[in-house]
Amino acid sequence: MVTVRVPGLGWSARLDLRAAAVTAAALVLALAVFVWSLAVGDFPLSVGDVVAALLGGGDRAGRMIVTTLRLPRGLAALLVGAAFGLSGAILQRLARNPLASPDVIGVNAGAALAAVFAIVLLGAGGTDVTLAALAGGGAAALAVAGLSWRGGITGYRLVLVGVGVTAVLTAGTSYLLTRARVYEAQRAMIWLTGSLNGRTWDQVRPVALALAVLVPAALVLARSLRTLELGDDAARGLGVAVDRARGGLFAVAVTLAAVATASAGPIAFVALVAPQIARRLVRARTVALLPSAAVGALLLAVADLVGRRILAPTELPVGIVTAVLGAPYLLYLLARANRIGAAG
Amino acid sequence: MTTATAPLAAEDLSLAYDDRPVVDRLSLAIPAGAVTVIVGANACGKSTLLRGLGRLLRPRGGTVLLDGADIGRLPTREVATRLGLLPQQPVAPDGITVADLVARGRHPHQRWFRPWSPADADAVAAALAATGMDGLADRPVDELSGGQRQRAWIALALAQGTDLMLLDEPTTFLDLAHQVEVLDLLARLNAAEGRTVVLVLHDLNLACRYAHHLVAMRAGRVVAEGRPADVVTAALVADVFGLAAEVFPDPLTGTPLVLPVPSAPLPPTP
Repeated sequence: MVTVRVPGLGWSARLDLRAAAVTAAALVLALAVFVWSLAVGDFPLSVGDVVAALLGGGDRAGRMIVTTLRLPRGLAALLVGAAFGLSGAILQRLARNPLASPDVIGVNAGAALAAVFAIVLLGAGGTDVTLAALAGGGAAALAVAGLSWRGGITGYRLVLVGVGVTAVLTAGTSYLLTRARVYEAQRAMIWLTGSLNGRTWDQVRPVALALAVLVPAALVLARSLRTLELGDDAARGLGVAVDRARGGLFAVAVTLAAVATASAGPIAFVALVAPQIARRLVRARTVALLPSAAVGALLLAVADLVGRRILAPTELPVGIVTAVLGAPYLLYLLARANRIGAAG
Repeated sequence: MTTATAPLAAEDLSLAYDDRPVVDRLSLAIPAGAVTVIVGANACGKSTLLRGLGRLLRPRGGTVLLDGADIGRLPTREVATRLGLLPQQPVAPDGITVADLVARGRHPHQRWFRPWSPADADAVAAALAATGMDGLADRPVDELSGGQRQRAWIALALAQGTDLMLLDEPTTFLDLAHQVEVLDLLARLNAAEGRTVVLVLHDLNLACRYAHHLVAMRAGRVVAEGRPADVVTAALVADVFGLAAEVFPDPLTGTPLVLPVPSAPLPPTP
């Protein structure tokens, strides 16, 4: 911790240097992967070409490939990853439970059911599917919050209710898939895996907008989050409106996850794993918000690049890559929690 | 002292958990600048009363007055600049250091646009020094002894900078030496800075020793209050705790010393 001062304004703040360094390093790496991802592909470009195209120079083909094909996808990876990372970090701290991430508490399953419903029964596509997923994710989160509420929300209850609601929603999704025609079932399956393939500006804009509003909101609410960690009574004693602060944080986290899921499908494990990696890098025992967002962006950018290139020219959806990387990590986390007798 | 002039008071206060009434039409005035100790048997409502006084529980009836104003109508953040409280068995986040824990006591004085001022740094340093925790500032709270941990939490309440402090059983689960250490600290804070301290204690003898004002509760009501020497009698102990005891003057302090009358067979003396 160092104190930062702005002498003219009489303003000062405390800064955790290690958290700031981790955030900066993850962002720089994510940016490097991002630029690289704009260069590689079936039509390879040099980094110089990419930079020229981004600045409006270079030849027309290069400009077209970079700005309309690869740029939205690369940006989507960064933004969706950051949204999932931040969402998971807030939920894990709020619930004091490393399993409390949006994919575990039902946001992704709700979005998936609504999206598959829209694709299979309504024949919807494009923006309509995105909107349906957004509504589904939000509704599932409200249902989980409502069912977990008992004069307050405890972490374990939230996770257990979330697992239950997820099971019901997933069953609904499976049922819809068995009723679907092959073509629609395949479209639904691709959406369900979570993919950044073919992302256009239509999917990038909502995530960018959500992050622009919700990151500052999360940082303002983080002050209350720090006191909520001391327990409800202590937080109330310090003048925090506990229910309002917790509701606000829950809403921010769930909206981030729902928007990210609507744009890219229910990409597994990023929200769960990114905060845990960030926490270990920062060497803090509590989850840090901004490092988690930065690590989430890096994680998804890397996973998408791996998915695009590892079996080229065939592409793996990014959701498969994150699941392959994330599942072993989740198992490790669970085994460790068992050994030390706590889910921390 | 009347409820209108006391720094903190309850008027006809009723408190309940769900539908279970715990405190019943209770009136109480906390004297300014004194140490008030609330005692009573388990489940008599003493901790509930303290939570009610600290606006952690919304009253079912009656009001809590902070400097004469209804505490429920004051902004909770403003209350937090005047009244600090230490809950029973508070939980520190894993791995948090003493300095970071104590710094969180500054929350009511901060805003999102003014996250950390020199006044915050001064208050935290003063709280660490007053509790003798300045040498342990960078240690994780979960590596401390029980007494040190409790001192860290008291430092948090001190950093909050309020004239009124409510503490719910701050000595529970501490051995006798650490109990005395914590109570001595609170007595010093009261004497040196004139802070009004209200605490719930289990140990009647320590309560008699440290209280200026003793409040004895039974079944959600106050059965006696006043100076320990004036209110603690064998009859009161029988009434409040259902215990046959005799009361002697403490040979060290002159305050009442309560000794239970033996009723079970005693181990043989050699």
